Amino acid sequence: MLRTEEMLLNVGPQHPSTHGVLRIVVKIDGEVIREATPVIGYLHRGTEKLAEDLNYTQIIPYTDRMDYVSAMSNNYVLVHAVETMLKLEIPERAEYLRVITLELNRIASHLVWMGTYLLDIGALSPFLYAFQDREKILDLFNELCGARLTYNYMRVGGVKWDAPNGWLQKVEQFITMMEKRMKDYHQLITGNEIFIQRTRGVGVYSQEMAIQYALSGANLRVTGLQRDLRKEHPYSIYDRFQFDVPVGRHGDLYDKYLCRMNEVEESLKIVGQALASFPEKGRVLGKVPRVLRVPEGECYVSIESPRGELGCYLVSKGKDKPWRLKFRRPSFCNLQILPVLLRGENMANLVAILGGIDIVLGEVDC
Amino acid sequence: MFGLVKGLGLTLKNMVKPRVTYKYPHEPLEMPNRFRGIQYFIPELCIVCNQCVRICPTDCITLTGKKSDDPNVKGKVIDTYEINFEICILCDLCTEVCPTEAVVMTNHYELATYSRDDLYKDMEWLSQNNTLVRKENTLHPLPKKTGAKKA
Ligand code: SF4
Ligand code: SF4
Repeated sequence: MLRTEEMLLNVGPQHPSTHGVLRIVVKIDGEVIREATPVIGYLHRGTEKLAEDLNYTQIIPYTDRMDYVSAMSNNYVLVHAVETMLKLEIPERAEYLRVITLELNRIASHLVWMGTYLLDIGALSPFLYAFQDREKILDLFNELCGARLTYNYMRVGGVKWDAPNGWLQKVEQFITMMEKRMKDYHQLITGNEIFIQRTRGVGVYSQEMAIQYALSGANLRVTGLQRDLRKEHPYSIYDRFQFDVPVGRHGDLYDKYLCRMNEVEESLKIVGQALASFPEKGRVLGKVPRVLRVPEGECYVSIESPRGELGCYLVSKGKDKPWRLKFRRPSFCNLQILPVLLRGENMANLVAILGGIDIVLGEVDC
Repeated sequence: MFGLVKGLGLTLKNMVKPRVTYKYPHEPLEMPNRFRGIQYFIPELCIVCNQCVRICPTDCITLTGKKSDDPNVKGKVIDTYEINFEICILCDLCTEVCPTEAVVMTNHYELATYSRDDLYKDMEWLSQNNTLVRKENTLHPLPKKTGAKKA
């Protein structure tokens, strides 16, 4: 018998497959992982603490930089919390623009996930196709709010800009194109035997475990639990749209892929419906006081971001700045299950399982 | 095996499609009108109200005002105006609050330099950055009277 020794291996923080700056210290025995400890904090900027010194409008650009792959949802959760406290009425047109941008951003985010995930496990071309389509969404956003990633688009009481001329038609064209593209993706990836072998039955966890670890988003739905906050307690105007919540059955990586791809299709449906009933005219910013003084009290709101339940807990003492602001970041919560999933796994599966969780380090570290 | 071949079919289809990449930086990349780029500052319009300084989330604007040389003009006129592009995040809030549109966005985005000091842009530089200025700027309609304030 060969005598083997445990080895300590440091993955990251600079590693392309950690999608940012995550460090994982793994103890391996041969090829098998005995223990894995994620080390986080390399991207910590103290957003929540900084926010205590900023007024509500000033915090919005900071939220852009949390989950930078889907900044719209971060924008929204903050203004949603403030609006809930102020009991503001949001103009119809603004709500529609919000839903359209939120869903487009979800598509963009899932495309990034899909592309980079396949890149992680060794397929290059889907990455290029996915980024090509995502680029179209970013161009639409660039035209709408003047930036490709850091949108700073939502405002308390509405949105900053109305849609420019012809923008809605462009979104419509994009939807039609994207529906066709989804077929291409299925042709390229869904039936691919290598991909199926690589992901079927890998990184499995049960529904109980997912709930115990407070997973949310596709990470939870993959186990078969149909929980989507857009359905559970509809915010904005989500109750007006018809869409399904895709769930998985096996709780493995392949189902995660299917879940997210189906979510893209549902998002396309929502955008299509929103465009069909888009109000002809109207304001995009409601009547808001010049200085936003949120009444004393606290509130917690949560929305379904592409990564899961994104919450915002706001405590106000009646000033124009929050007394305490806390974000429940889905990436951070979902990452907690990683050490358990990795224990006993083959070293080669580390990147596949980590990628499957879909973390954004800007959000983990906040 | 069939899935692999099907996937390869898509790859072959894409081989004959036109290229999607841009030739930046050899060819300039045009940005839409709303693009948030380096600010253009118009000293004559500024009424030294300090709103841009107060809203800036990263505290990167520094300005000073002085008494006008012209005795007929009440209130202050701008003396120095600086933006530190090391920390400016081009968030658009300064242009949003400016009541006279004295500070507006342009479509310029190339800021890379060899020295950090180059990133402090003073009033002279900012007022000469006057090409590709954004047309739509603030949420608020222009006030009817500018300049003279009640004492
Ligand atoms: S764009 Fe934002 S960060 Fe830059 S000077 Fe204006 S308010 Fe400050
Ligand atoms: S907000 Fe406009 S007018 Fe007021 S100080 Fe700034 S640049 Fe000048």
